[in-house]
Amino acid sequence: MSNSMELKFKASISNELLARQAIVAFISPINPTYEEIGEYKTIVSEAVSNSIIHGYHFDASKDVYLKATILEDEVEIIIRDYGVGIKNLEEAKMPHFTTRPDLERAGMGLTIIETLSDSFSISSVEGMGVKLIIRKKYSLDKTCDEQRV
Amino acid sequence: MESKIKITSFDDGIVVKISGELDSSKTSLYKEKIHQSMRTFGPRYMIWDLKDLTFLDSSGIGLILGRYNEIEKIRGVMGLVGLNAYSRKIISISGLFQIIKEYSSIKEFMKEEKINQ
Repeated sequence: MSNSMELKFKASISNELLARQAIVAFISPINPTYEEIGEYKTIVSEAVSNSIIHGYHFDASKDVYLKATILEDEVEIIIRDYGVGIKNLEEAKMPHFTTRPDLERAGMGLTIIETLSDSFSISSVEGMGVKLIIRKKYSLDKTCDEQRV
Repeated sequence: MESKIKITSFDDGIVVKISGELDSSKTSLYKEKIHQSMRTFGPRYMIWDLKDLTFLDSSGIGLILGRYNEIEKIRGVMGLVGLNAYSRKIISISGLFQIIKEYSSIKEFMKEEKINQ
């Protein structure tokens, strides 16, 4: 069932919805539960808003890239921007760390992504953007009591 | 599903009901609406009814946390009701349950806080 997709969109907050809807449509062949759908949406939304807010400082002329691949037993999601990058990755990963407390986003984005995924890596060069690689396992055999879509 | 906010007041508090997908595109507007109600009603209690919420991320967590800090300042009480498994998970990851309690219903919140209905 290997499949992949790439999406490039403007760094506008309204495109968070587009990115979420795209990932939900893309993963439908793995027959996700409602809870899994919610998790994928949150992961993508957190990553995309990080790129828009921190990477590009709301500059909607810039582009965010979302790439997803369905592998044998996991889904790989790559979110990429070419914005300002992250100075200190360890600091950025700390819960409640944020460079923009005024925006009330709780500084939890990366912590939430990390918790909801099976593996997560972040790389950045200051001034050259951020690349997030997220992997999340799936199973096609689900127990009967799990909700299906 | 489009997100909507509905704020209703009772004696000494307000109920903030948010439905649909709550993301960064809505949080500033909702913060302003809640502040408006806070100015009008001066609530000591704030209940979030999230029964019809279908999406939540750290921007929504930030919206709740920001209001918690304001309610806390006036020694008020905040509660969460109507959480589905998914919202509960996101709220739990964010650590919000360490400071804000979940109640099974608005009625239970009233009962525990000894609010006359």
